[in-house]
Amino acid sequence: MKDLLRLKTSLNEEIENILNAQIKVEAHSSSVYLAMSSWCDDQGYDFSSDFFSKQSEEERKHMMKLFNYVNDRGGKAISPEIANIPADFESFRSVFEQMLEQEMFVTQQFNNIADKCIKLKDFVTFQFIQWFLEEQIEEEYVARRILEMFDVIGEEGIGRWEIDKHIPKVTYGE
Amino acid sequence: MVCPLANFEEVYKTDHGAVYQCSRQNCYWLEFAGDTTAFKVGDFFGFKKKIDAIDISAMIINPSRTADFTIVMPFRTPRCFVLDINDVLSLRELLDGAKFMIELNSVVHECLKVTPNQASY
Repeated sequence: MKDLLRLKTSLNEEIENILNAQIKVEAHSSSVYLAMSSWCDDQGYDFSSDFFSKQSEEERKHMMKLFNYVNDRGGKAISPEIANIPADFESFRSVFEQMLEQEMFVTQQFNNIADKCIKLKDFVTFQFIQWFLEEQIEEEYVARRILEMFDVIGEEGIGRWEIDKHIPKVTYGE
Repeated sequence: MVCPLANFEEVYKTDHGAVYQCSRQNCYWLEFAGDTTAFKVGDFFGFKKKIDAIDISAMIINPSRTADFTIVMPFRTPRCFVLDINDVLSLRELLDGAKFMIELNSVVHECLKVTPNQASY
C-alpha cells in the first residue's frame, strides 16, 4: 500500500506536537517581554525598556523559525493562543529574575525536544534545534549577568539608574 | 458515493464503518453511518483530532437535550456529522485503528527500504 503519510509529512506526530508546543512557549515569551518593556518604560527605565522590546522581537523570530520549520517539513504549524500576560511587576530586579526563570524554562523545553528527537531517531530536527540550544547559552548568560549587576552596583541612591544605563552593554562574547 | 475511478485498499474496518485508502487520488475514504466521505491526508488527521477532542464527560453530565449530540462539520467535505455518544466512541475506535494501520504501513515501508550494501548480506 502506498505510504500516503510520508508523502504528506516527514515529521512524526509527536515531534510536530512538541514543536507546536514550543512555538507557543516562544510566543508567550515574546508577549511577556513586551509587557516587561512596557512596565520598564512606565517606571522610567528607558534602556531596559528598549532591551526587553528587542528581546520580544527576538523571541518572535525564534517562534517564526520553528513555525516555518514545521510547515517546511510537511507538518501543520499552529498559530498559538496567548493568555495570562502580566501587566505589573513587583520590582526592577524581579523583572530580570523572571526573565532568567523564563530562559531557564525555555532551555529545559529544548532539552526535552532534543531528548524526544533522539528517542524517535529524528536527527534532522535534532540538528535543527542545535541552533536554539546554543542561543540559550547567550540568553541565560545575559539574564544572569544583569542580575549580578544588582549586587555589584547596588540599588541604593542612583543604583537603579546606573544599572539601567548599563543594561545595553551586557553582551555575550563566548 | 465513492469515486468510481478510485483505487481502494482497506486500511481498517470495524462493525460500524471502515477507512479505505485511494492510492490513485492520494486520499482516505471514511465509511461511517451509511455514507462515505473523502479526506485529504492532512484533513483526515485533523478530523481525527477533532473527534478526539470531543468532551464525552461533558455530554454525559449535561442534562440538556442538545448536549446529547455533537455536530462536526469538517472543512472541504460536504458531510455534516451529527454524533451521539455511541457514535463518537465508534468513530474514535475506527479512526484510532486506521491511524495505527497508516503508521504501521509507514514503518513497513521504512523497513523495506534496504540499501544495496545491506541487500547483499
